[in-house]
Amino acid sequence: MSDVRNNRREAGGSSVITANRLLDGRIVWQVAEGDWSPMIKDARIIPNAEIEAAIAQAAARQQADGLVGVYGVQIESDEATPTPVTVRERIRAFGPTVHPDFTPAAELEAHA
Amino acid sequence: MPDTIPAPALPVGHYGYDQVDRAFLADRVEQFRDQVARRIAGTLSEDEFKPLRLMNGLYLQLHAYMLRIAVPYGVLDSRQMRELAHIARTYDRDYGHFTTRQNLQFNWIRLEDTPDILARLAAVDMHAIQTSGNCIRNVTCDQFAGAAQDELVDPRVHAEILRQWSTLHPEFTFLPRKFKIAISGSPNDRVAARFHDIGLVAKPAPDGGTQFDVFVGGGMGRTPIVGVHLRDDLPEEDLLAYLEAMVRVYNEYGRRDNIYKARIKILVQALGTEGYRQKVDAEFASMNRARYRLPPETVAAIRARFGTPDLNAPDDAAARLDRARRADPAFDRWVRTNTHPHRAPGYISAVISLKPAGGIPGDATSAQMDTVADLADRYAFGEIRVTHMQNLVLGHVRQDELHALWQALRAADLASANIGLIGDIIACPGLDYCALANARSIPIAQKLGARFASPELQETIGPIEIKISGCINACGHHHAGHIGILGVDKKGEEFFQLTLGGSPGSDASVGQILGPALPEDATVDAIARLVDAYLVHRTGGERFLDTYRRLGAALFKDAVYATA
Repeated sequence: MSDVRNNRREAGGSSVITANRLLDGRIVWQVAEGDWSPMIKDARIIPNAEIEAAIAQAAARQQADGLVGVYGVQIESDEATPTPVTVRERIRAFGPTVHPDFTPAAELEAHA
Repeated sequence: MPDTIPAPALPVGHYGYDQVDRAFLADRVEQFRDQVARRIAGTLSEDEFKPLRLMNGLYLQLHAYMLRIAVPYGVLDSRQMRELAHIARTYDRDYGHFTTRQNLQFNWIRLEDTPDILARLAAVDMHAIQTSGNCIRNVTCDQFAGAAQDELVDPRVHAEILRQWSTLHPEFTFLPRKFKIAISGSPNDRVAARFHDIGLVAKPAPDGGTQFDVFVGGGMGRTPIVGVHLRDDLPEEDLLAYLEAMVRVYNEYGRRDNIYKARIKILVQALGTEGYRQKVDAEFASMNRARYRLPPETVAAIRARFGTPDLNAPDDAAARLDRARRADPAFDRWVRTNTHPHRAPGYISAVISLKPAGGIPGDATSAQMDTVADLADRYAFGEIRVTHMQNLVLGHVRQDELHALWQALRAADLASANIGLIGDIIACPGLDYCALANARSIPIAQKLGARFASPELQETIGPIEIKISGCINACGHHHAGHIGILGVDKKGEEFFQLTLGGSPGSDASVGQILGPALPEDATVDAIARLVDAYLVHRTGGERFLDTYRRLGAALFKDAVYATA
């Protein structure tokens, strides 16, 4: 869910857009308009200068896309895979640290 | 619809629903089914839907929806536990998490499944009402109620009366903030009565009836306060009237302009104990006392819907337990740490630790839930209690059958001998699950549990309570920990602040901050140094808390912050 802690944005940085799916509450990341993935590695990277407009656009169609709580997450600038700057968003992106079987990557592998 | 599950005649340890209760729950499930359908269809927005789902215990957490299921006064029967196991297997990820308010949470629930889950719960007389929102929450109770040797009055009947009074109370559905009541019937406070909005301690009245000590305005969160003693002589017949007056005054004068100042503790501090008492007394005096009177016949009628155990142990039960303890040192250790004296000859209460070394405090798999249900049927009249310490209790176990119970628990990895010791850690879900958290609680608990895994070491260290919260909301009760650990966010990274000297019991106190917060990778080592300092400086049979109170914080501060 949107959280004031996620409004910290550096002027020259980049962000990705996230939400929870309405039906099951699971976390997804925006790949393109109307296209969302459970894997942050698929996420579209957006310069912070453009992120607020992109969030507003995604939020406007969240019911149609079956989503709730659209917001932006700043990412590290020097990582190959989009990696959130805060531990909170890293846990959202990569799953609970106490259950390796429940991470998005493990789930993807299990369903492959 | 769920399969029809036959209800026991009267469950031991908790109130047996009647058709009125069941019809209400069935209506409530269908009401929520319609609300969920409208949310999915988009005719209810998330802002409109959120308060409705919260009234049914459904949160949207970090990774998924979380469903918090009420366990009124912490008592379940085996049929209910098996249904929780079924829900864990079918709708979640094969486990559940017992909470510090004696409830159970499932962390991976789908919104679209929730009405069916609630229907299954209703079929075994369970629900998720009063587990969220600004209402009177599920009433918590002594985990040894009705069994403890030191108990003066069994408080569960009164807890049930408070449940019936508070559920859907029209005046108290939209209080300034959530409202938590705990009740005990023992002079030894095991419910943290002084850390609740209202804490009640039942005791015999001079006329042979029941009366209550009343504490008010305690709480944790960002403003930890030990509650004040409002009165020591509340008669049973005035229980509902007086509590109605107490909550009315809060409802009228409690702050609604600032969420951080909205709990009753802030009001009591603002008015002063006498000021609050005067307002309550004025409200109480103006009430139609006949209407609110709780007559003995009503108490008796509620009591009559509780099943009672047929306690009839053989005369040599205690002697057989003694023999088993002498023959098996591991069992003897478990009996020393994980049992509590029972009021009836030949019986004992057994605590099932949900804190295996390196495990997640309060978590139980569906298989473990089924095992506990089976063992409750075999050894404890089908009754199971959930503790606010995130463990389970079988209240009435024959002493001559305790060894067999322990062997069965050990086979299910449920026999950790650590109750009240350093491995018996309270931890909130923290940042691994909770949307409010700033830091992870569970990994710290796991590392501490592994570090102090040795049962011998734990017994050597002795009674000590470590409590971990992932944010200042303090669901992990860190303020009341002998050692409290609070997770804080520093520029997006986890740090942990230590507090020392808290206590939840009859000697309630708020822990004091020791110093600057520590990085995650330094926290467990710092606590190990703290414990070492205690072992060096304790005298006689001092608990950690006693040594801290005798010597103060300085030596512990040195131990934590001294650099090599």
